[in-house]
Amino acid sequence: MSFLLNLAWRDLKASGRSLWIFVASLVLGVSLVAAGGGLYQQVTDALRADVQMLFGGDVEIQAEQPIPDEILSWVDARGDVSGVVELRTMLMTGQGRSQLVELFSVDDAYPLYGELVLEPAGASQDLLGLRDGQWGTAVDGTLAKRLGLSVGDDISIGALSLDIRAIVVRQPDRGLRADWGAAPVLIAEDALMATGLIQPSSRVEYLYRVKLADKGSAAASGFRDDLVRQFPTMQAQVRSFDERSDRMTEVLGQIGSGLLLVGFAALFIGGLGVFNSVKAHLDGKLASLATLRALGLRDQRVTAFVLLQVLLLAAMSSAVGVLIGALLAMAGARVVADQLPVSVLLGSFWQPSVVAWLFGVLTALTFALPAVGRALSVSPAVLFRGLEGQVLKASLGIRVVTILIALLTLGLLVLILPDPRLGLAFVASVALLLVVLGLVSRLVRWLAYRLQGMVGLPLSLQMALAGLQQPQSPMRVALVSLGSALTLLVACTLVVTTLMRTVNETVPESAPAMVFYDIQTDQIPLLMQTLQSAPDLLEVRTAPFVLGRLVGVNGSVLTDSDDIERMRESRDEHKLSDRRGNFDDVVVERGAWWPAGYDGPPVVAMEDREADQLGLKVGDQLSFEILGQTLDAELVAIYAQRRVQARLWLEAIFSDAALDPFVTRHVGAAWLPAERAIELQDKLAALAPNIATARTESVLRESRALLGRAVTGLAVIALVCLAASLLVLASVVAASRSRQIYDATVMHALGARHSLLVKLLLWEYLLIALVTAMVAVAFGSLLATVLLQWRLDMSAAGLYWTGFVTAVSVSVVSLGLGAWYLLLQMRLSPAMLLRAQ
Amino acid sequence: MSAPTHSLVQASGLSLQYQMGSKSVNVLHNVSLDIAKGSTVAVAGPSGCGKTSLLLLLSGLERPDAGSIFVDGRNLAELTRDELADLRRDRIGIVFQNFHLLASLTALENVALPLQMAGQVDALDCAGDMLTRVGLADRAHHRPSQLSGGEQQRVAIARALVHRPSLLLADEPTGNLDDHTADSVRQLLFRLNRELGTTLVLVTHDMDFAGQCDRVLRLYDGQLQEVQRVVST
Repeated sequence: MSFLLNLAWRDLKASGRSLWIFVASLVLGVSLVAAGGGLYQQVTDALRADVQMLFGGDVEIQAEQPIPDEILSWVDARGDVSGVVELRTMLMTGQGRSQLVELFSVDDAYPLYGELVLEPAGASQDLLGLRDGQWGTAVDGTLAKRLGLSVGDDISIGALSLDIRAIVVRQPDRGLRADWGAAPVLIAEDALMATGLIQPSSRVEYLYRVKLADKGSAAASGFRDDLVRQFPTMQAQVRSFDERSDRMTEVLGQIGSGLLLVGFAALFIGGLGVFNSVKAHLDGKLASLATLRALGLRDQRVTAFVLLQVLLLAAMSSAVGVLIGALLAMAGARVVADQLPVSVLLGSFWQPSVVAWLFGVLTALTFALPAVGRALSVSPAVLFRGLEGQVLKASLGIRVVTILIALLTLGLLVLILPDPRLGLAFVASVALLLVVLGLVSRLVRWLAYRLQGMVGLPLSLQMALAGLQQPQSPMRVALVSLGSALTLLVACTLVVTTLMRTVNETVPESAPAMVFYDIQTDQIPLLMQTLQSAPDLLEVRTAPFVLGRLVGVNGSVLTDSDDIERMRESRDEHKLSDRRGNFDDVVVERGAWWPAGYDGPPVVAMEDREADQLGLKVGDQLSFEILGQTLDAELVAIYAQRRVQARLWLEAIFSDAALDPFVTRHVGAAWLPAERAIELQDKLAALAPNIATARTESVLRESRALLGRAVTGLAVIALVCLAASLLVLASVVAASRSRQIYDATVMHALGARHSLLVKLLLWEYLLIALVTAMVAVAFGSLLATVLLQWRLDMSAAGLYWTGFVTAVSVSVVSLGLGAWYLLLQMRLSPAMLLRAQ
Repeated sequence: MSAPTHSLVQASGLSLQYQMGSKSVNVLHNVSLDIAKGSTVAVAGPSGCGKTSLLLLLSGLERPDAGSIFVDGRNLAELTRDELADLRRDRIGIVFQNFHLLASLTALENVALPLQMAGQVDALDCAGDMLTRVGLADRAHHRPSQLSGGEQQRVAIARALVHRPSLLLADEPTGNLDDHTADSVRQLLFRLNRELGTTLVLVTHDMDFAGQCDRVLRLYDGQLQEVQRVVST
């Protein structure tokens, strides 16, 4: 074996640049698979590790009022409990600056998971307590930086002045909304009461986090369900940590599958490069293989010699790909770690790295084996008779082994994808694509045969048509290799451009600069007056804001439902409004809005996530409970949130006037220059401190930055696919180069003018480019449309031209470059070339 | 020239057909052949008469449609593909018109190849000795691309003989060489035949070259005929 290994290694080294396409193709594909897999694994591992910390406990009970002692005792007997009271309100600095914050009063047990890190360090209850008649507070680090606050400064919240005694360096349950919306400010519970902000209509949340002895998700959901059954009339939402992680895992699974699929598409395209590259390499080695056989090397050892070369190269290229992929994943994980309070876990990389490496080697084997089998069929007789007329065909054994390895690779692919259905669809699409391309190749050959005889065709075109029918024509290789690469590229382009369009539309150009919450009905004139004092105010809108619960569907009461999901859902408090002045950007997906000026019985539209969770359909009769009264309405539409705008996330929108008896509060939005918003916010906070005001500028900036990074990521992925396609082209040219140069040189030697050879080559490549592009556009668009509609619920309408432009330009440019390269080669002396043959 | 003692190659009733499109061509028809150990035999004949096919059959690289071949007492028909490969590795040497050296290996490594295949530990030493015999000791570490045509053919001859085969098959060994180089390669082949006692069967168009062999066989129309030598007095 060492003799064969040595021989294989020496031969590889001497092969020089002839296998660079093999290496580059595999490195590109493997790096994308490793990066996608690594990033997905990293994020899911980190979230899984931190999910209880982010959630604050194993189970959370959320209520508008403190829960009764009876329930608290029941809970207390089953785990450790920490009580938190949250209230969104405005903070005023000593300099008159104001900011929307989340008041956060915590008890001694807080936090149940993780650690609250304060600067200077100290027990939170000591720092927040009453000293010399003044309450203390600890403010979020980002907030302190934004407002220029430091320890020792005074701030006002409601009627209370507080002394900043610490800055929060790390808070385990600090979520994304702390950056986007309201940053946390820690105060003692008594201090919160002293602010005067706890009023009957104020939006205060009492959270009871529970830490159970058993850490499993089954224990948490068991506890949740027991609690709901034990206290069916309890007015509180109960959630377990796995509900959050389930939703997160589902979303991440889709993203992870998407990333991995693009990676596998690149790997598949790379595989085609590997096939052509190995074929070109082995075509140059046929005589050597025959010689080894003639000298007495047994068939198995000749096979081992070639396979060792493929394996050596595949293992090394895949290792390089894994290294690049892991670095990319680490860079991606850092971006994610900046956005989420999760830490980069180096341990998460090894498994996807091993998987990506394995896929690299298996893909290389799958694609190289047919070329290897073909080369191994060479008879030593060629050493006597020459290669002319040799029909090389892989043996049945090799074909069976290739199919088995391909099936193993595909099976593994389906198994490792977070979304196996997507994997199966990918495998089926690729298989179908190869069959279609095979059929198209036959069709082209048949058409070329038919057209060739037509009178009046230029000689060069006739010869090109004749060339397409030859068994040695690059057409079949080009069509299958470049055709499938281009098809996947068109599909990727369409998916990426559709995602980019969605990303760009997610953050609208004309978002309101300010959003107001908790406006009492009698405060609307004050709000309007204050805002209208700004000379460059563009628009103000207010909409009623009512909280209510969905308690019945088509006459059945949800709290009595056998379905625990529906039973729990009935406890959720929903944000309700109507369409007058509504500024949430929603789009109806099922049903339709009621006509303008509608004054019939109440009708309602619901958000899709909520409706789907409860299995609601357009036409259902819904019963809501608002302020102790029942409001019945027919569900006439289901809508989706379209953009990050005000982020009100209204769960239901009623017909005008339906909510009027219940309206005590409003939400509002103002369109004006962002720089004016600071001044108005401060002014309004001084006049009406209960109105919570959020400036959207930072939210939108953060969103744009995050989405910008997503767009960059998508663009990188598209570029990698493009590079892989170009490599495939290079491999196609390399695979057929010597044959074409030889043919052209022989014709030149026989008297064909250079111009005729150029025309012939251009015709041949143009015909291939056209057919390839057409197939790629048709099949790629179909693939993308199905994928977008099925998995991502998006439409590529209006963007199909991007796929067309990509396919035509890449096909024409790449095959044009191939033709140009061949023309350069043909400038060599025919005499020299013929002698070399 | 030494008189043959007993046979190394015995072929009888050999027939071989090729399919050329829809037509079948009789390349060899009921050919029989007996080659004595240590002798030199030339096979001549017009292009396409089946000379190369005969060499392929004798080397076990192709199998006849009919007839039997014994090489060194072994019936090739009874040997598997692997056993035929082993037979070539151990007892047969082949020299090609186009040399067919492995471009990635040096002259020394090319020559050592058959011995390394057989797992011989002193393969490189033996190869060095053989290169000295063919006068190329100073070119041992050159690659084929750095050698002239004549030198490449000498390396190929060294490779074919390094494992001391009983039978050396040569297909137009001087066909790609100029007259002067061709002459030196001829001398080398005959010298090594004498020194090593190898049986030499060569295919050639060159009747001068053929004339220097113990026997000349002419292949024509699928039949093998012994060319009667005119002994000069």
